[in-house]
Parts: sequence; structure tokens; C-alpha cells
Amino acid sequence: MIPLSHFMLISAALFCIGLYAVLTKRNAIQVLIGIEFMINAAILNFVAFGRFDRIAGGGQMFALFAIVLAAAGVAVALAIILNVYKHFRTINPDKIDTLKD
Amino acid sequence: MNYILSILIFLPLIAALVIILLPSGFRERFKYIALGTSIVQFFISVYIYLNFNSSAAFAGINRESQFQLVEKMSWIRLDLGSIGKLEIDYLLGIDGLSMPFLILSALVMFVATLASWEIKTNLKAFFALLLLLNTAIMGVFCSLDFFLFYIFYELMLLPLYFLIGMWGGVRREYAAIKFFLYTLFGSVFMLLIIIGLYFSVLNPATGNHTFNMILMMDPANYLGSSIFSTVASQNLLGISARLLAFIVLFVAFAIKVPIVPLHTWLPDAHVEAPTPVSIILAGLLLKVGGYGILRICYSIFPDAAIQSAWWIGLIGVVSILYGALNALAQTDLKRLIAYSSVSHMGFVLLGIASGTTEGVSGAVLQMISHGGLSAMLFFLVGMLYNRVHDREIANFRGLALVMPQYTAFVMIAFFASLGLPGFSAFMAEAFSLIGAFTSQEVNGLLPRWMAIGGSVGILLSAAYFLWTLQRMFFGQTRLKGGDVWLTRLRDVNIREKFALVPLAIVAIALGIFPSLIFSKMNASVLAFIQLVSG
Amino acid sequence: MEVLSFSANALCLLSIIAVAFPFLSFLTIMLGRKSPGSAISIFNTSISFISSILVFISVWNGEPVQQQVEWFSIGSNVFSAGILLNNLSVLMMVLVSGISVLVHIYSISYMKGDINIHKYWAYLGLFCFSMMGLVVSDSLLLIYMFWELVGFSSYLLIGFWFTKDAASQAAKKAFIMNRIGDIGFLTGLMIIYSQFGTFDIVKLFGSGGMIDSASIVDGIWISASTEMPVIWLTIAGIAFFMGAMAKSAQFPLHTWLPDAMEGPTSVSALIHAATMVAAGVFLLGRIYPLFDSVALNIITIIGVLTAFIAATIALTQNDIKRILAYSTISQLGFIIAAMGIGAYGESIFHLATHAFFKCLLFLAAGAVIHQLHHHKEQHNMEFDHQDIRMMGGLRKQMPVTFIAMCIAAAALAGLPFTSGFLSKDAILITSFEWAEGYHGFKKLVPYILTLTSWLTVFYIARLIFKVFFGKSRYTDLHEAPTSMTRILMILSFGSLFILFSFNPLSYDGSWILKGFAGAGVKGFDRLHLFIPAIVTVISLAIIFIAYKVYGGRAVQTFPEKGLLYRFSNRAWYFDSLYDFLFVRSTTALSRLSYKFDKLVVDGLVNLLATLTNIISEVADWFDRNIVDGLVNGLATLARKTGDFARQFQSGKLQHYLLTMLTLVVTFFILTYFI
Repeated sequence: MIPLSHFMLISAALFCIGLYAVLTKRNAIQVLIGIEFMINAAILNFVAFGRFDRIAGGGQMFALFAIVLAAAGVAVALAIILNVYKHFRTINPDKIDTLKD
Repeated sequence: MNYILSILIFLPLIAALVIILLPSGFRERFKYIALGTSIVQFFISVYIYLNFNSSAAFAGINRESQFQLVEKMSWIRLDLGSIGKLEIDYLLGIDGLSMPFLILSALVMFVATLASWEIKTNLKAFFALLLLLNTAIMGVFCSLDFFLFYIFYELMLLPLYFLIGMWGGVRREYAAIKFFLYTLFGSVFMLLIIIGLYFSVLNPATGNHTFNMILMMDPANYLGSSIFSTVASQNLLGISARLLAFIVLFVAFAIKVPIVPLHTWLPDAHVEAPTPVSIILAGLLLKVGGYGILRICYSIFPDAAIQSAWWIGLIGVVSILYGALNALAQTDLKRLIAYSSVSHMGFVLLGIASGTTEGVSGAVLQMISHGGLSAMLFFLVGMLYNRVHDREIANFRGLALVMPQYTAFVMIAFFASLGLPGFSAFMAEAFSLIGAFTSQEVNGLLPRWMAIGGSVGILLSAAYFLWTLQRMFFGQTRLKGGDVWLTRLRDVNIREKFALVPLAIVAIALGIFPSLIFSKMNASVLAFIQLVSG
Repeated sequence: MEVLSFSANALCLLSIIAVAFPFLSFLTIMLGRKSPGSAISIFNTSISFISSILVFISVWNGEPVQQQVEWFSIGSNVFSAGILLNNLSVLMMVLVSGISVLVHIYSISYMKGDINIHKYWAYLGLFCFSMMGLVVSDSLLLIYMFWELVGFSSYLLIGFWFTKDAASQAAKKAFIMNRIGDIGFLTGLMIIYSQFGTFDIVKLFGSGGMIDSASIVDGIWISASTEMPVIWLTIAGIAFFMGAMAKSAQFPLHTWLPDAMEGPTSVSALIHAATMVAAGVFLLGRIYPLFDSVALNIITIIGVLTAFIAATIALTQNDIKRILAYSTISQLGFIIAAMGIGAYGESIFHLATHAFFKCLLFLAAGAVIHQLHHHKEQHNMEFDHQDIRMMGGLRKQMPVTFIAMCIAAAALAGLPFTSGFLSKDAILITSFEWAEGYHGFKKLVPYILTLTSWLTVFYIARLIFKVFFGKSRYTDLHEAPTSMTRILMILSFGSLFILFSFNPLSYDGSWILKGFAGAGVKGFDRLHLFIPAIVTVISLAIIFIAYKVYGGRAVQTFPEKGLLYRFSNRAWYFDSLYDFLFVRSTTALSRLSYKFDKLVVDGLVNLLATLTNIISEVADWFDRNIVDGLVNGLATLARKTGDFARQFQSGKLQHYLLTMLTLVVTFFILTYFI
């Protein structure tokens, strides 16, 4: 049986990759992909921890719930990105700094 | 209750308010309002003069019941807890020492207002300030409460500062600030003494501390242990507290008189001030100093006054001679007259210091006489300056041919000032000197040489006035400005005659009938001498 | 006199009229509009003269009259003003008003055509008023007032031609020199007042008055009420004498009188020869009991010195009026010296005679000047019409003036049958008698006086011969107008003996001397015979010499150079000396004191101001850099922090996330590892 720590390591790696992408990419789509990575890292953790709750299957439940939420989030995010593009003519987050004031 | 003094004091204030409230369209009428005010004041003061009771039962000085036209109202009553109750009265009243000054003030104000015709800018402010000054001066001469006195005394400074600083000559700011600081220097310390006196004196009627000057004159009213008590004889800074207080008050008033060496504000202020302000400065402000010395320094601290009489006499003689010598060296006519004021006011100090009836009467007459004459002199200088904007003696020559009437008035003023008999200054100076001379025998305060030294001042005054006459008015006409000046140097006009003639009449009347003043103040002077010497 | 006697009230009224009428002419002319004023002046002066005569007739040698009213009071001391009529004052009244009437009439022609003529009349009126007031006043204070008014009117009249610089300067000089004397007078007043508490002349100097009853014990001068060291008695005498010195032009205060000749000649005659200069003598006469022996000695010395000095100066002057001016000074010296030696009556006597003949001399000289001036103007010539070197031979052209002048000169020289003979001999003889009782310098007094009288003879002879003898320079020069010559004739009569004494050769019978009883020297001894005889003989000899030198076509035997000549001609260099000693030093002192005032006294004030300024600058610097620096430092710190924090708010999403991450990691580390 695969020990839990392996799952955790992969999840952490996935999270870090996602985080990296989120922080460094010059393209909002890529950032979104990074976010997806991080969500999936979390989902992986849910599934992995799900084995400690076999009766209720809480882990699987939460994973499914999170996947649905993630899908919905992606849809909203993409819509935002489209609107951002329409507004700023770019989706490079470095160019968009109107948040500061 | 008689409110005549309050009317006299606050009438100009009301007029000032009227002027402030009137729109600027009435600009040309302001001077008539001011003039009317001073005329009304003059008639009120003449009425007071005529109804003045000069008998010994109304001598005044240190008996409140003997003052005339007294107005007494409690003004400020504050419970200060442990230090007692603050008691400030609105206390007005006159006696033989102050009454002559009321007439003088009204007269000089009248002349000053007539001289204000030359003011062309910012009339509203000018006349409002002039009237405010009028109120303050009248108030000083009438108040018998030290706090009230101080308020009026300080109130004089404010309008004068602005009058010099805004309508003055080239160096007006310098002169105004110098004048203001000089006088403020004196009065700030005066305030300390006033507070000290307040805590030393109890009103026997109410048991409270009081600012009443008349109560301060009675040694019995002092708290036994208080700083200025006569019995406790406390020391401050190594000398007797009463002597120190006397010196401080004396310096405060002496700056106004002015005495040498505290006189240097005077030439600058006079030269820079516009004519009406010079008239008021010389005619009234200096007298406030002399009056204060009599009414406050001498009356409240007679013991200290006797102690310092020698020094005061010396200051008087030095002022006479020093002022006259400096006047001799002047090239600016107005400055010459300013220095001559220093010299003439020296007689006042000498007379007061003598502590004799002759000396004190002479000193008061000298103040009245010099008030009128210096007003006349400054008015005359102002006329010349107004016409050609020059006062340099060397730039004029042979004016007698150009302006004969003007020359006649100048001669009257000059000869009156140099003490020609028949004019008031002679009587005043002669009796100041006689008093000073007699002092050695009567009370031993002043040595005889002081009187003789002072009489040399009469010689010097003849020298500088006659020299000026000869240089400016006699000889063939030669003016710096040539024909332009000739056309501008018109002779005396009606308005100017209205100002000059009353002054000349007063000078002659007092010179021939000095009893016009003497008879009114004899009782007070006697009471004053009694208080000081005894 | 029984013929005319008035009650005391009427007398006082009359004398008030005599005093006040001239003043009325002053007032009406000055206040009125441009009237010439000659008529009113002459009318008023005549009224004044007539009432003086009436007063004189009824008071002379009678009871003195005094009336007074309360004038003013100081403290409990009452000062009264009033009139005192005794021999001295009524004599002066007649003298003053009489001469002034004559001068007034004379002036009509003399001053004709002057544009300021109305002022001339007004000033003359003022002068007569003050002079008359001076002589009738009964209080020293009143006398002092009129005394200065006399000086003032003299100032106005000397400076009458004020466009001339010399005139206005002379007026100023006269007034200031008189002021020096006035200081003395005032000092005297102060001493008298502080000792006796009154100015009333009768109370003070009357017989049994306060001066008499005051005693001197151990060097202390004790009056009824007070006492002071006796030195003040002497000082009082000298102080009053100082006043007299200035007014009567005595050495060393004499230099104003020659300069005063810048005024119109009629004025010189009235004021600077006959009346005003007599005021000093009058004052001495009024307060005579005050003088102690020291003061009297000083008076004598000053008088003798003045008489001598002025006579020597007169020897070499060339201006006709200046000669007469110095002669006046010299004669006044005589009079003052007579006062000093106690010859009170003789002194007043000479004062009266001198008033007439000196006035005549001036008026005659005025006639000459007037005619020469006209001649000059008519012919457009340019010369000094007062210089005796420019005159000569006038006796034929101006005979009346010549005779008048001769009579006056004879009186001045003291030749017999003139009034001067009587009065001068009186003084000389008295001085010889007086000197007999003394030793030392006092022995010299009569001899110097005699010498002076011979000098007088010489200079007046020189004047007469130079002006009236010799060859005439000008054709068609005429006698002065009759109104002037008539006055000269009247005065000539007054200069003869007859007006003063019926015996032309002895002064003993003179009514003026008798009027001052007790003053005349009685007895007939050798002096009374020898002195007049010797003096007269030598005088005649001197006149002869002078004629030889100056009269006719004589050779000029006196060189007009040399030390003595210059010394005399420049009037002993008094003017230069005074200019150097007093005028310059005073102006220098005044400039110095002004510098002191500006630099030291005002400098101190300004230094104080500057110091305050400097202190405030320092405080300002401290405030800006230290106190405010602290505050600003805090602000800077805050700003720097803000700047630092601001960097985090870049507006970039990724930066925010990074910051968030950093913080989360930091807290994580802090929580779990530390």
C-alpha cells in the first residue's frame, strides 16, 4: 500500500508548482492554471485522507464538492479574464495595477 | 450722580463708532464729526472749569470725598477664594490737579483735528483711531482707580502706534515700534507694581483688596506685613520696596515726559508722525507723564519721592540743558521743536522735585502752557511741511517776505516758548525755578545751584529759537525750491487761523492772568504739598 | 506843588493811561488793516506824555504813591501788581514819554516811504508801553516782565529792516546778550523771593523795609522768616547788576549795543541812547538798598572799566552811529560808576541830561544820514552814508543840524553852560571826594573817569570836525526837513543848563539832585572849584588839538595803523573773543551733544534693539534647527516608513499574493519554530 506521505509530497509539489505559476506567470490563463494546480493539490489531499473515513466517505465527498466548485470557479475566472482583456487589452497581470488605489 | 465725566470720556468713542458704521461715501464728513466732537468736549470742559469749586474743602488729592464730579460704580467683583475678592471700581473724579488738563486735552484735540485736514488716505481708520485716542487721554486724566487708569493708559498706545505707523513719514515703522516698545517697557513694570499695591492695600470699608488710588495714598490702609507697607519697610533687590516701586513707576511715567536719557523715542516719533499726531504727542502725551508723576508716584509713595528728590531735580536740570543744547544743533525744524520739548519738560520735573507750592504750581502751569505752545509749534511746522514737503532749516530764508502772517504766528509761538513775559511759559518757568531755588530753605530737597543751572536753559532756548528765526524768516528770500515753492507757500488760511488763534490767546491769557489756572488749583497744590511733605 | 494835586486814585489812573496808551496804538495798528498808523501813534504818545507830566507835577518831591491789586496767588502767597510813583519813577516817566514824543514826530519824516511803516509805529508803541510799565511797576516780578518786553521790542526794532542780514543778526545778538543779563535778574528774583517771600518793592526796599530789617549775624543773612549764608546777599546784588549790565550795555555785555545801530537811527536815539539803556540804571536805583559793599565795588569797577574801554574804542571808529554808540556805552559807564560810589542822585542826574544830549546827537546824526542817503539815491552814487570819512564841510549845507550837534557835543564833552557840564562835574567831584576815604585801586577811580572825560572830548571833537568842517564833497546837499530840525532845536534847548539848574556853573542848585534828597554832596570846598576849572581848560586844549588834526586842511598826524589803533578800531577784539569763546564753543558743544545723543544715547537704545535682534536670531535658529528639527525628524521617519510600506501596495495581484505568502510563511515559522 502506498504510504500517505507520498500523496502528501505529490500534493505539496503540485501546490508549489501551482503557487509558482500563480506568482510568476505573465499570463492570466497560466495563473489560472496555477490556481487549478493548487486546488487539485488540495483535492488530492482530500482523497488521500479519505481513507481514514471509510464509513462516511467524507474525503471523497469533499473532493467531489471541491471539483465542482473548481469547475465553477474556472468558469467565473475565465469570464473575468475575458472582461479584463476587453478592458485593459492585455491579460498580463503585471500591466494591471489599478488595484493599488 | 453726575455723569458729565463719563460723557466727556466716551463721547469720542461714540463718535468713533459712528464713523466706523458710516459708509465710506461719507469720507469727507468724518473730519467734521471729529471736529464737532472736540468742540463739544471743549465746551463741556469749559463748563466744568467754570463750575469748579476751588475752595480748600474740595482740594481732592488724597480725600475721596473732596473730589468733584465723582462717579463710582462697582465694575468687577470676583470671588477669588483664598486671596479674597477682586474689587475694581469704575471711579472717576477730578480735583485741581487734573481739571486743567481736561481743558488742555479738549483744546489740543480740537487743534489736532483741524490739523488732520492734511490727511488724505484711509480717513475712516484715521479718525476712528484719533477719537479712540481722545477717549483714552480723557480717561487717564479722570480715573481714580489704578486699574481703570492703567487700562486707559495702555489704550493710548494702540491708536498712537497705528497713527504713527500708518500715516507717518519715511521711517514711520521704525519710529512707531520704537515709541511703542519704549513706553511699553515702562508700563509693563508698572503693572507689577500695581499688582503689588493691590495685594498691599485693603479697603477699610469692605475689607477687600482694592485698586483705589486714593486709598493707596493712606499709609493706614496698608496691610502691616505687605510688601509696600510703610511700617514693615521690606526690602526688594537690596533696596527698600517702596523706593523701588517709586523708581519703577517714575521711570514708566518719565519715559513719557520724557527725561534724559530716556528721551530718544521722542525726536523720532515726532519727526515721523503726521502733524496731528505730533500735536497730540507733544501737547498731551508728555503731560500724561507729568500728571502721572504727580498723581501716582508722588501721592502714593511720598516718602520715596522725598528720598529721590535730589535725583529728580538733577534729571530735570540735565533735561533742560541737554535738550536745549541738542535743539541748538538741529537742522530739521521739527526735530528742533522735539528737542525743545525735552528741554521745556525738564522744568516740570525741576518744579515737581522742589516739593514747594511755587515749584509744583509752576510745573503744572508749565505742562498746560507747553501743551498749548508745542501744539502751536507743531501745527506751524506742519503747515510749512504740508506746503512744500520740506522742513530743513537751511532750505528756507527770508520767509517773512513770503508769508508775513505765518511769520507773525511763528514769532508768537517762538517767543512764547522761549519764555517771553506776557506768555504762559514765562510764568511757568519762572515759578518752577523759583520753587526749585526756595526748596533749599523750605524743605532742603534741592540745592540752589539747580535753579540757577536751569535758568541757563532759558538763555539757550532764546538762542535756538532766535537763531532759527533769523535763518529761516529774515534776510532776503531764498528758497531751495525756487519759484515753485514761492507759489506753494501761501499764507495762513482761515482754517489754520482757527487753530492758531485760540492757542495764542490761551498762551497770552495765562501769561498775564496766571490766576486763571493758579486759583483753581491752589487748594489742591497745598493739599498735595501737605501730603508729600508731611 | 499845590497848584495841581490829584488823589492817589487819579494819579494811578493817569499813570495807567500813560502806560496803556502806547500799547493801544500797538494793538490798533497790528490788528487793524494796513493803516500807516502815524497819527494814532503820535496822538497816543502825546496823551501818555501829558499824563506823565501831570503825574510828575503832583508827585515830584511829594509823598510816594503806591496802589496795588491782587494779581494771582500761589499756595497761600499772594502776588500783587501795582503802581509805585516816587521821584525816580515820575522822572523816568517824563523822560521816557517826552523823548518818545519827540522821536515819534521826528520819525514821520525820517521813516517816510518805508513799506512796513505801520509796523514801525506799532513796535514803537510796544516799546513805550513796556518802558513806561517798567518805570511805574511796584513789583520786581512786573519789572522783570516789562524788562524783557523792552528787550523784545528792542529786538523788533533793531531787526526792523529784517531783510538785511546784519540787522537780523544784530537783533538776535541784542536779545541773547540781554537774556544773559536776564538770567542774572531772575537769579536775583529767586534769591529775594526765597529770602523774603515777596516781590513788592516798597515792602522790600522802602525805609524800614525787609532789606533794612534783615540782619547779618556770623555770616548768615537773616530775614523775618528765613535765613541763608550772607554770600547770597552779595550774589543777589551782582545778579541784579548783571541784568543792569546787559540792558545798560556794560562791559563785558556791551557788544550788542554797537551792533544794534543797524536799526533805524530814530530807534537808536530813543531806545539805544536815551531810554532803554537807562533801564539798567533805573533798576539799580530801585533796588539800591540791596547792594552790599562788595557788590558796590564791583559796580564801580565795571562802570569805570566800561567808561574807559568804550571811550578808547570810540576814538577810532568811522561809522558815525558807532561812535555815538560807544559814547553811549562810555557815558553809561559813568552813570553806573556813579551808582557804585554812592552818588545816587548824581547818577540819575547824569542819566537825565545824557538822555537829552545823546538823543540829540543821534537825531542830528540821523539828519545827516537821512540827507546823505537821499543824496546818494538821487545821484545813484555808491558809498557808505554813515562813514564820517565820506562826510565833511556839512556845516554850511546843514547849519541847523550843525549847531544842534555842536550843542550836544559840548554837553557830552562837559563844556560850561551845558547840561552835561553840570552832571558830569557832579559825578567827577563826588568821585574825588569818595576816593579820599579809600586806598588802593579806589584812588584810581576818579582819575580814570577824568581821563575818560578827556577822551570823550577828543572823539566827539573828531566827529564834529570830520563831519562838519573841511571841504564839502557834495554839492546840492540840503538841510533836513523842518519837522526834523524843529525836534533838534527842542532837544538843543534841553541840552543846555537852563532846564536843569539856574546856575550854569554849579550843579548844587539842580532840582533833580535836590529831588533825591540826601544824595547830593553839600559843602563848598576846593574840589568844587578846581576840578571843573582844570577839566574844562584841558578839554578846550584837546578840542584845539582835534581841530588842528581833523579840522580844516590839517595834516593827518595820527597814523591809522599800529597795534593800539587796531586794538581800538576793532573794539578790543571783544566780538572775536566772544565769538570764539561762547558762540563757537556753544555751537560746538551743541553739535557734540547731539552726536552724543545720536551715537551714545540713541546708540544704546539701538544697540539694545540690535542685541535683542541677535538673540532672537539665535533663538530662531535654535527653534528652526533643533526644536523644529525634532518635530520634522519624526515626520521624516513617518514618511520614510510610509514610503517603505507603500512599496507593498503595487496594485499588482501577484505582488499581493507574494506578500500574503511571505506573511503566512513568516507567521508559520514564528509559530512553529521559534
